[in-house]
This record gives sequence, structure tokens and C-alpha cells, in this order.
Amino acid sequence: MKTITRIWKVNGEEKTVKVPPMRRLLDVLREDLGLKGAKEGCGEGECGTCTVLINGAPMVSCLIPAGQVRDGTEIMTVEGLEKTEGGRLLQEVYADKGSAQCGFCIPGMILSSYALLSRNPNPDEAAIREAHAGNLCRCTGYQKIVEAVQAAARKWPGNK
Amino acid sequence: MTVAENSRKGLVGRGVSRVDASDKVRGLARYADDLDVPGCWHGVIVRSPVSRGTLRSVKLDPACDASKAVVVTAQDIPGPNIVVMHDRAMPLLAFDEIRYIGEPLAVVAAPTRRQAIEVAEHVRIEIDELPAILTTAELVRKFKAGELKTGVEQNAPRGVGGFAGGAPESPDVLCSQSIVKGDVEKGFAEADQIVEAEYTAGHQEQLYIEPQGLVAIPQKDGGILIEGSMQCPYYIQHELHEALNLPAGKLRVRQAAVGGAFGGKEEFPSMLAGYCALPAMKAKKPVKIVYDRHQDILYTTKRHPVWVRHKTGVKKDGTITALKVDFLLDGGAYLTLSDVVMYRGILHAAMGYRCDHVFVNGIVGRTNTFPSGAFRGFGAPQAIWGVESHVDALARACGMTPHEFRLKNCLRVGDTTPTGMVLRDSVGSPAVLEEALKTSRFADKFAKCSRGRKGARKWYGIGLSFFAHGSGFTGDGESKIGTKVALDLGFENASPVVFIRVSSTEMGQGALTVLSQMAADGLGVDLDRVRYPLPDTGLVPNSGPTVASRTTMVVGSTVYSAACKLRQRLEESAGRPIAGSKSFEQIASKYLAEHGPLRVVEAFKLPDTVRWDQATFRGDAYPAFAWGCNVAEVEVDTRTLEIKVKKVTACFDVGRVINPVLVKGQVEGGLTQALGYAVMEKIGIKGGRFDANRMQTYVIPTALDVPEYDITFVEYPYEFAAPGAKGVGEMPMDGLAPAIANAIEAATGIRMTDLPITPEKLFKEVTTKCAKDAK
Amino acid sequence: MKFLEDMDCAFPKNLQEALKLMADEKSRGRPIAGGTDLMVQWSSGVLPMPERAIDLSGLPELKGVSENTDSVVIGAAVTHAEMRRSPIVQVHLPSLAQAAATIGGAQIQARGTIAGSVANASPAGDLGPSLLITNGRVVVASKAGEREIELAKFFLGYRKIDLQPDELIVRFILPKIHAGCRESFRKLGPRAAQAISKVMGSYRGSAKGKEVKDFAVALGSVAPIPIRLPEFEQWIVGKEIGKKVLDEAEQRVAAMIKPIDDIRSTAEYRQWVSGRIVRGFLEELVAE
Repeated sequence: MKTITRIWKVNGEEKTVKVPPMRRLLDVLREDLGLKGAKEGCGEGECGTCTVLINGAPMVSCLIPAGQVRDGTEIMTVEGLEKTEGGRLLQEVYADKGSAQCGFCIPGMILSSYALLSRNPNPDEAAIREAHAGNLCRCTGYQKIVEAVQAAARKWPGNK
Repeated sequence: MTVAENSRKGLVGRGVSRVDASDKVRGLARYADDLDVPGCWHGVIVRSPVSRGTLRSVKLDPACDASKAVVVTAQDIPGPNIVVMHDRAMPLLAFDEIRYIGEPLAVVAAPTRRQAIEVAEHVRIEIDELPAILTTAELVRKFKAGELKTGVEQNAPRGVGGFAGGAPESPDVLCSQSIVKGDVEKGFAEADQIVEAEYTAGHQEQLYIEPQGLVAIPQKDGGILIEGSMQCPYYIQHELHEALNLPAGKLRVRQAAVGGAFGGKEEFPSMLAGYCALPAMKAKKPVKIVYDRHQDILYTTKRHPVWVRHKTGVKKDGTITALKVDFLLDGGAYLTLSDVVMYRGILHAAMGYRCDHVFVNGIVGRTNTFPSGAFRGFGAPQAIWGVESHVDALARACGMTPHEFRLKNCLRVGDTTPTGMVLRDSVGSPAVLEEALKTSRFADKFAKCSRGRKGARKWYGIGLSFFAHGSGFTGDGESKIGTKVALDLGFENASPVVFIRVSSTEMGQGALTVLSQMAADGLGVDLDRVRYPLPDTGLVPNSGPTVASRTTMVVGSTVYSAACKLRQRLEESAGRPIAGSKSFEQIASKYLAEHGPLRVVEAFKLPDTVRWDQATFRGDAYPAFAWGCNVAEVEVDTRTLEIKVKKVTACFDVGRVINPVLVKGQVEGGLTQALGYAVMEKIGIKGGRFDANRMQTYVIPTALDVPEYDITFVEYPYEFAAPGAKGVGEMPMDGLAPAIANAIEAATGIRMTDLPITPEKLFKEVTTKCAKDAK
Repeated sequence: MKFLEDMDCAFPKNLQEALKLMADEKSRGRPIAGGTDLMVQWSSGVLPMPERAIDLSGLPELKGVSENTDSVVIGAAVTHAEMRRSPIVQVHLPSLAQAAATIGGAQIQARGTIAGSVANASPAGDLGPSLLITNGRVVVASKAGEREIELAKFFLGYRKIDLQPDELIVRFILPKIHAGCRESFRKLGPRAAQAISKVMGSYRGSAKGKEVKDFAVALGSVAPIPIRLPEFEQWIVGKEIGKKVLDEAEQRVAAMIKPIDDIRSTAEYRQWVSGRIVRGFLEELVAE
């Protein structure tokens, strides 16, 4: 099996991986780097639970060949959230609002929230819903997710 | 009596944060696929490619190097080849007759998933194919042609009592059951008119976001530990200990974090556990099977497809004189637990309204498709889909509005249900109906519906449904299964805490939190003094399965009562009351130092007044009913016939609300699942196989599809089970589909009778209607 | 069964390197950019896995949106997110910007590219109709040089485009909407987001009062490839839009297409609703 070496900044830390170029980023994160936060719900980019942030943009890691992720890329997984002020805030409001039920969609969902608020700290409800439309949740009906993002926006760093 | 958040002293009634939230928002919760099991092998299932046939042989191609793998077939099963279920008829691995496409024939396990797949590709199967029944429509055709013979039709004299299933005549019938109240023919004779209609719905997939996954780990004592995604740890033990030839104690089952279940992880994991355990026992290695989404959609249970026919007698003034219902479920290839699904279905199929003459005929038919199974609501959503659509037809036949008709006929305190149960306590009817009508301003809005008005760009419609949902098991089942809970007082880091020991599982619904709240209130302490570890049959008594909207009401109240007892014991020993966490710590520490750990065990018992006769299906069908009313407002685009559900107003009586934040979240999620059932989720059978196998083709609502929700609760506590909760989990799935269909009729003037209601079906009806109008 | 891990992938640094790899059968690979279609098709077995992929996502020549007097030039590896957020696309190709915004969710839009969507050549490809109404061209390149093809001729048949094995799509040249013209995109799917279309359509046109001056219309998911309706376009130009013309327009469109039944919709609904969509376009075109 041919491998390729990549050096990434994962949750702020430099990580070197040596992997087959077409291995899915999701598998590299979960198996090679032991970051089990990102989940596989469908493996086809439909459910969004494997969402990670690549240089700040939400992407589904199940459809990304690891080799395509260039050296120096910043990857943020759910495990990296608490290293940021906004991430900690989101964790707090998701807990307060009851936004996590079974919790399986949350690693992706909360990163979509983080990406949205980082880009647009004052989203209206339609923008919130659209930004989370790539993350399927079967438990909440999304209302509590929307409420959490609205609550986080009110306290978002720089918005206070 | 509407609940305000955080209105009470103590924890019950307060919207405290979930106790499992912290792990979940940090990505630390460990689900089946996240479990770190050293040396774990991977299993792959070899399945039948045909819907029905005789299995001649299952063999590994001799050219295949399987030295690094194990292959198990029916011959390798240590005990009888059955998954127990309700009739001991379903094999764990097929060995003779194959009854559905995808039926497991063998399991291959190897150190890597890839090796297992490669060996599995070399398993050769010989089958003589046999004719098969593939669709619900075929069952319906047979039923109408009188080819589905059941005990009910032949043996139940009218007006005397039901006939309990027994051995049905026709091989296409898996089971049957009737409910008889009064004399339905007499009722029809009293009617001014008779209204008949049929309603249908297809399969629905649970589509929990975490696919099925389990691992079987051989133990030093020769036993097996099953760990992973499941609703009912003790079910797995019960279903498989015979086939695996293990005493119950040696088949230990432990739950991991569960990423949604909705019934889909009720009985199905019992089969999957078998597919893991067999190769694990043979290879003496841990074996894990985690389904990918394709497998999960194609090869797991779904909601039963339904065909229901209502024939109802009404008087001009709106009085219902007779209710006759035929309720047919497609059970798939094996009974599994379909009898009980059908029971719940027939118990809800004529429920909700006063009527002296009722006959309900329930049948589970057999097709050569994947066995249908548990899904939130368990037969009730199918039944309520029929009856609540039909009630609108009745109202119209009587020249009444849907709300007037319901207010006139809805069951109230003192009325009797179809099984003869007299409603006495905790009856949220008509309160939920009145409350939802008021909050939604139903009467005003109903008058303004479009009814297919020509020239409009959008059609507006409002519709409602009203229903009850039996909490817990049927009749006195809750007493019979002997629900047991234990509370252990012990030290954790030198600080006293109480551990809740129950087999009830957290799958997103909030059991960990609400049961902890109840335990803490019983003890008189804060939440931080209570622990609720995920269940492990090696450590917890059997508090029953986590199903049937029973956990908060039945297990929760038993935990509460155990907590009160534990508190009493501590207070007696200390000679002073527990006043908050601080005094609990002092008292409990002293107790533990002097006496060692303390366990309190408590069993649930129903009051003796609950009477149920399973043979005749007469009596108190459930310990209590929860009540609900859903109001849906829809907009239909006249240009495309696209249906948009704009707003849902819902009112529920779920008894005492334990956690207002969690209950709202659960209801919003359930309504969203019901929204999918109503207008979106579609999976058919094509050539014996499900025609959707991906999340792209089995479509569920996204954040942009959900309507505005306005949800309220009225509280009619079930006083017998302090602190008074009734069931909630299934209710929000029950009534939205008919409310939407009723709203669509108000919008378009067209009655839709098949779920899901899509623009394609609406178009067909519009075309038919236009053709008729033109004549 | 094959596994993604067995597949090799080349990572050329620029277009020239990529074309060199493509030129030789031995070094050639399946071009991949966002991978949002290919990764799914490979792992689900819908498409056989090739020996090798060639990653185009990092090629600077394929990036960027620019404009000249008449046209917008969009690099092959421009993502849907970049298109929907590009002020140039929003102003000059509004239908394309709208279409890009309906693809998948944010995660897919951040990865999927314009050329990937076109090369996937699905009948339900979301960009097809919006590209066709522009009368635009696609530029493909090989080691031998570039070739420009009208988009209308680029789609050959079901999942088939006019691209040679050694060629890569490099950019799209899409004529801007003229002042006084209108265009828009309409997609019907089984849900509000993340939907594969049942039917979709785009139009570009102009009117004077109620009279149609220009009208280009394209539909997707109703044929093996996205289609223009040239006969209809000819017929409608010069017509005064009123109830009678709209009724006839609806009938004519429905009569021109032969969609199929599949898991997402039915032939009869698709046929009818296509006419309804075009009717809506015409109403919008002449609206005040």
C-alpha cells in the first residue's frame, strides 16, 4: 500500500500522518489520530455527523481523501472546540438548552454552529437553519439547536 | 394548568441540564464504533439473495484461504437455532426455508473488516427459489378476497368477546386479535348514515443517526459479553441464551452510548448480538459488527406498513353509533414482536371517542420481506393515522366542523373505552383538545381555509388530530414483568453517592437525567449526589425494556419510591432528617462507615384495581393514558402542489412533567419524525428489496423543513406512580400525520389516504378530480 | 471488493503537470476535485474504482472567478460555496448563484466544484440548466492545447460528456445577463435542503410590457441530460403573456419532454410540473 506523508495542524497541534492518499480523512482522524469525536453516520456526505472544519470551513470528512488535505492545513474536530472561547460557549449553551439528545450528530452539528458564528456572529434564524441543513438530527427537530446558536450569538466573542 | 419552566421546588418539574450533556458536547461519549476492544475481529454477514427458497448449501469456496478467518453457519449454533422473540419461530441463521431477501445465512469474521469481506465473497450458496409474497398490497388483496383466514372471523361471536390469536388458519397470517364492545351490527342499525374508508401507509425507517453496532467479547469463564448500541440489554440475554447455550448469567450485556434508537434498537440488536457472538465463540476472539448505512437501511426492522378500513355509523346529530375497524399490518417474514405491535394498534384504532358498539379486527399478515419491528408508537401511529383521518370524514358527513365533532364525542371522565375500561383518573381529555384549539385559534382559521379555491397562488389549510396513548405495557403487563430497580449507596472518591441500578437505557430521550431528578428528589439531595451508569446486566436488576413510553412513569416512579425508602433508612439510622446535600453527606458517610454499602431494591406494582383479560381483550388496556392534540397548518403551492407544513400547535397531557426542557425537545423531535412520516419518508419494496438504501434516497427532514412549533402541556398526574408522570416518548409520533392530511383536505378539498402525502400523489388526485368535475 | 486505500493518487502542482500525467495512459488517473460525487460512487460500488486518481483541487489555474465585458469566467475547481458567495456570479449569473446554493449542505458546497458537477453528468446535476441558459462555453485542455465547446453540445448522453481521456475541464466562459434581462432558478426536491431534484429549471429572458422579447429556458431531471427547449423558445418569443398563452405554454412544455418514473418522482408529475415551472418563469418575466 502506497502512503503519503502529511503534516497538519489538528486542533492547534502539529500532527504528522503517513497514510494511503485516498484513505478517508474520517478514518485518519478516528483511527490514526485517535480522535473518535467525529462519527460516521452514512459515509456518503448526507448526514454531516463527520463534519470537521478545514481552515475554518465545515466539510464532511467521510468524502475527503486524506492526501487532498495539504500540509499546513488547520483541522478542527469536536475535541478542539474547548480550546477556543467560542467553542466553550457553544458547549455551554448546547448543554443548557438540551440541544444534545442522543448526541451522535452533535460533533458535526456543533462545528457547523462554530463555523457559522465565526463567519457571521449575528445570523438570523433562516441563516442558522441553512447553516445546519447539512447536519441531520433525528432526535431534536432542530429547535433546540437553533435556540442554542441564538443564545451563543448573543454572547459570541466580539458581540458582547 | 400549563407548566411554567422551573416552577417547582425540588428537581422534579425543573428544566435542569442533561447529566450526559457534557460528554456529548465535547465528543467524549463513546458509542459502539468508538469502543476500544483490543484484538477485536470484524464480522460480515452473508445473506440470502432471494425472497423465498430452500437452502441447499452454504459452503466456503475451497480455493479461498480462510485460515485467518472463521465462518459460522447454522451448524455452528451451540443450542437451538432460534431467536426466542414471541413465537420461537425465527432462526438465528437460516438453515432450511429462506423467508426474505437479506436473511442471514452465515457470518464470517476475521482480524480486519477487509479480510472478513474478502472471505465472505467466497461463500457459495445454493438455493432452490420458491414463490413469494412481496407486498402489503398483495396481503390486502388476499384479505379482501377472503383468503386471509383468522380465528377472529371464524370463532368470535359478535358482542361476546374477543378471540385470542391462537393458531390461525391461513399461513399468510402471523397472528390475529379482535376487540369487541357491544354489538356493532346493532350500532349500524341505529345509524343515520354509514361512512366507510380505507387508509394506508408504508414502511418507515427509524434512521437513528448512529447505525447498529455491537461487539461480542469472549470471557474467561466461557461466557460472552455483548456491548454496544441497544435499547434493552435484558432482551439480548433472553433472546439468545438458548441459541448460544449459555446460562443467562454467562451472557452479560452492557450498553454503550446509543446514538438514537426509536424502537429500531429494541429487538433487532438481539439478532445482531447473535451474529457477533457466534463467530466470537468459535474464534475465541472479540467480534464487532457495525453496520454501514446501506446495510442499516436494507437489513434492519422498519415500522409496519398498514392497511386500515373504517366503517362507522353516525347519527345526524353527530353521535357515533358503531365503529368497525379492520387493521392489517405487514409483519414481514417472521412474527418477532408483531403481535404486540398489532395489539397496541387495535387498542388505539377506535380509541378516543364515545361509542357503545365497537368491533376491531387485527391481523398481522406475512410477506417475504424483512421482519417489521418496533418503531416509536408501536402500531399506534398507524392506527391513529386511520381513525383521525376518518373522524374528519365523519364530521363532514354530519355537517359538523372537525373540532365540534371531536368536542362532542371525545372520551371524558366516566366514559368507557373500546375494551370497557372506565376512565377515572388522570384524564387529559378534553383539556388537550380545548387547549390546542384555543392556542391555535383553530375555529377562526378553519373558516378561512382555501378548500381548493380557484385562482389562488397558495392554498391554506388547518387540520387537527386528537388521541390518547397507552402508557407502559398493555393491561397488567407492568405488574407481570416484575420491574425491579436498585439504589446503591456507596462512596465515590470518599464522598457518598447513590447509584441508580436499572436496565433502562439512555438513547437520547433523557432517561439518565429524569430518573436522576426523581432519585434526587426522593433522597432530598442535589443532582450531583446521584449517579446513573449505563446499564450492565452483570450489575443491574431487570427494570424491563426501554420501550412503550414506560421508563419515566414505571421505572422512574419505582426509582423515586426506592429513593424515598433509602432516605427513610438513613434518616432512621441518623435520627434526624436529610436536609439537602450537605446533611446527606454527613448522614450517609456515617452510615457507610458503620454499616458498609447499602442497597435498596424496589419492585413496581400496579394497583389491584387494574383489571385486564388478555384472552378476551377486555378491561383496563393500560394503567393510564396520555393525551394529545395536534394542529397542523399547511400551505400548498398551487403551481407545483408542493406541501409546506408551516406551523404545528400541540398540546399534551403526559402527567407530571419531570423536565420541561427535555420533554419539549423530545416532543419537537417526535413531531419532526411524524412530519417525515406524513409528507416525506418513503421506502418501498422492489423485487422483494427495499428500494432506498441511502440517506440520499431515504429522505428525512432537515433544519429547513421543520415548521414552527408551539407546544404546551396540561398536567393530569398519574397519582398512583409518584411523582405522577405518564408516557411521553411515543406520543409526538402518533397524531401529526392525520392532522396534516386533514389540513391538506382543508387546503385543497382533496382527501389523501396514503402516507407519505407527496405532490406526486396529490397531483394524481387533482387530475382525477378534475376529470370527474369535467364530466 | 476494492478499497479506497488501494487507490493511488497523484498530486500535480500545476495544470501543465496534470496534463502531462493525463497525456500518458500509464500515468493517467481519474480526475478528482471536491470528491463529493466520486467518493460516494467509489465506496458504494456505483462506479468501479480506478487504479489511480489525479487530484485537481490544488491547481491554481483552475481557481478563481473573473469577468470581462460580456462574460464571467469560472475556473473548473471553483466550489459551489465560492460561486454562491461571489458578487460577480450573483450579479451577472444570478440563476447559477441560486443553483449553487441549493446543492447539498454547507459541507458539500465547500467541496464540490463546478467542473465536478458537470463532469459527473448526472441528469439531476444542479448546475446544468443554469449553465445552459447562458449559451456559454466550456474550455477543456490537453497537453496538445485547448478546445472550446458550446455547453449545449458538451452533454452527450446519460453520464456522458464530450471529453477525451487525456483532457481536463479548465474553465467556463459564461455570457453575462444583459441589462433588462431576468433570470432565475427553480428546483423541486423531496425536501427543502440537501435534495436531489425531482425537476429543476432556469430561464433567462427579457420582455417589453407583456411581450416576450427573448427567452431561454432549460430543464433538468426530465431527460438523460439537462435540456434547452429551442422550439418552445422560438414559439414564445413575440407572444403577449396572458392566461391563454400561459395555458398553452404549459401544455407545450409538458408535451416536449419525456421524463421517467424513479425513486424521487413520477413521469406524469414531472411532465406536468415542468410546464408549471415554465409558466411561473413567464409570469415572473413580465411581472412589474
